[in-house]
Amino acid sequence: MAYGRKSISNRLSRYVLLISAGLFVVVTMLLGFLTRRIIERVSEAVAAKDLELAVSEVEKVITEVERAVDNVDWFVERNSHSQPFMKEATRELVTANPNIIGSAVAYEPDYFPGKRWVAYYTFIDARTKEINTIPMGNPDYDYPMLDWYRVPRLYDKPMWSEPYFDEGAGSQRMATYSKPLRDTSGTFFGVITSDISLEWLAGRIRDIAPDAASYAVLVSANGTYIAHPDSSKVLNQTVFDVTAAMGDSTALAMARDMVAGNRGSGRFNAGSDDDSYAAYGPLSNGWSVLLVRSYAAAFIYLYEFNLFLGLFIVLGLIGMYLGCRRVIRRQTMPLVEFSQAAMTIAKGNFKATIPAVKSKDELLTLHDSLVYMQKSINEYIAELKTTTASNERYESELNIARKIQMGMLPQNYPQLDNCSLQAMVQPAKEVGGDLYDFLVADDALYFMVGDVSGKGVPAALFMAIARAAFRFIGPLGLPMAEVMSRVNNCLCDGNKNEMFVTIFAGRLDLKTGRMSYCNAGHNPILVSPPDGASYYLRAEANLAAGLFPDYPYKGEELLLSPGTRLVLYTDGVTEAEQRDHSQFGENRLKEWADGLNHAVSPGSATIDLYSRVKNFTRGADQNDDITIMTIQFGKENKK
Amino acid sequence: MNVTITEEGSRASVRLEGRLDTTNADQFMKDITPLMDGNHTEIDMDCTDMEYTSSQGLRMFLMLQKNVSSRGAKLVLRNMKPHVKEVFDITGFSHIITIL
Repeated sequence: MAYGRKSISNRLSRYVLLISAGLFVVVTMLLGFLTRRIIERVSEAVAAKDLELAVSEVEKVITEVERAVDNVDWFVERNSHSQPFMKEATRELVTANPNIIGSAVAYEPDYFPGKRWVAYYTFIDARTKEINTIPMGNPDYDYPMLDWYRVPRLYDKPMWSEPYFDEGAGSQRMATYSKPLRDTSGTFFGVITSDISLEWLAGRIRDIAPDAASYAVLVSANGTYIAHPDSSKVLNQTVFDVTAAMGDSTALAMARDMVAGNRGSGRFNAGSDDDSYAAYGPLSNGWSVLLVRSYAAAFIYLYEFNLFLGLFIVLGLIGMYLGCRRVIRRQTMPLVEFSQAAMTIAKGNFKATIPAVKSKDELLTLHDSLVYMQKSINEYIAELKTTTASNERYESELNIARKIQMGMLPQNYPQLDNCSLQAMVQPAKEVGGDLYDFLVADDALYFMVGDVSGKGVPAALFMAIARAAFRFIGPLGLPMAEVMSRVNNCLCDGNKNEMFVTIFAGRLDLKTGRMSYCNAGHNPILVSPPDGASYYLRAEANLAAGLFPDYPYKGEELLLSPGTRLVLYTDGVTEAEQRDHSQFGENRLKEWADGLNHAVSPGSATIDLYSRVKNFTRGADQNDDITIMTIQFGKENKK
Repeated sequence: MNVTITEEGSRASVRLEGRLDTTNADQFMKDITPLMDGNHTEIDMDCTDMEYTSSQGLRMFLMLQKNVSSRGAKLVLRNMKPHVKEVFDITGFSHIITIL
């Protein structure tokens, strides 16, 4: 049977898939968050470490430059008047120190009387790489007024200049270390300088930054960029310009802190989606190194990782779904077989084989249940067959009993000159307890109607005894009370079940119309004289027969005028009920009798009454036997 | 047919309600069996709400009457509706069962 997408295996697999996917999403989000945190921490640690490296690298350069100058100035000061010596000293600084691209000794105006400019500058030609020494100073280049000369002189201590673009000999961006010179007499006579190339320094710093995620920046004492990956910023902008443009107060605060010569670090937003991390530290000459590391750049690895993780999860889920479906399908295969077996059984093949189960779980229980059900069904069917067979036999026996019973009732009506009669019994069940009988002997009609208490075979047997007793005792010529007494004694004999029968028995003298009768607990018969209203014959209420032996029955007599009709009946007529238990009753019976023409034959009258009763009950179940006997006395009314 | 039996010592008050016909005669027999165990010297049946009895039902009353008579006890049926009483009268049962 194909259930397709709705099969248990598919459905369970989908549930497993959904739950797993949900779990994976949660775990992945958690993992992503943690990983992000870790990467941020690592980024910050790397930045701090890179900062230290950059600081020490730049510090080394600065220190080397300062030391080189310090090494020569002692000799320079002792030979303050020797201009060739000065030339040589500058050459010496440039040639001996790879960090130094230019060096100068500039005299104080009028140190050599009358001469404003006496200075020598040795530099490496940027193009030819040759070392040249040239004199400096002319009206266009009045060095005593320039910062690199003026400021150290003013402060009287060695100083680093702000970065600047040298339009003179160097023609590049540089910074200059200037140291004041004093001769042996202690008089200030000029400065000695050494230049470093900012391009070169920027290169060194660029080399320090380990990857694209970070970059190092060198700023001067007043915040001007000395080295920056974006070389257009160098000399042209300060950290304040840049941080102010970011609009991030943290960044601005850090910039101030850095320029003030402090060490620090922090997170800031440069205006893009992701934050960056800044670490900064001071150099001995008042400059600062700033290391910026972008988290986002570092997260690239995280994205890659997540991509792989996602791919792995999707593949894993697909694999799990397929695997689950396969496993569940295999595990629930017995279910499919069971349902097929159950369907086969349901279709009527009760001997269908139920598939065996190896596992000891719910499936085994199901298997056992199915086997038990099958066994029960088969047993039940076998039992049902037996029961049905015995029921059929019982019913056929009941039918036979009914035929026997009905056969006992006389069907051949005597052809009499001045009397005619008709009787019928309609049993409520197959075998009823009502009876009637009649016979003609010695010019007299003997007749009786009876109702045995209860129904079924016991009632029918009791009825047979009553009928046989009447048929035997009736025509003996005894008074009707005596007839009833003897019938009663017959019935009492061996009646342990307290069964009884109500009987109306009579003897009609066909010549005189004299009727002697005895009513043993039976319904009063209906008498319809030809010239008056019908009436019930309220006879002496004797006890029903079969109960007490030797009960003193009393008999009575009535003289019938010709044309009188008698209707004998059992309580099945008067107590015939509609569904709401309202009964046909004696009144309806009397009305019927009054409304019936006397010309109607007993046969038609019997059938008419029966159909009247049936019309009254309107199809409600008949709960008692219905017996009707109609006798018409009188020759002239005979049809 | 509802049968309610209230016992006061050796006296049993019984209340009968509804119809007694072929369909419930057996159940009625079971219901009144406790009255036949010989413990009661006086059985008083209130038939105010008894609607109908069939001949099968009459048999049950007869059996109870015979049981009661055999041990010298008393059975009385009271407040019977006229159409029910009529059945007892017609069948002559009024002669052997005390109906007040």
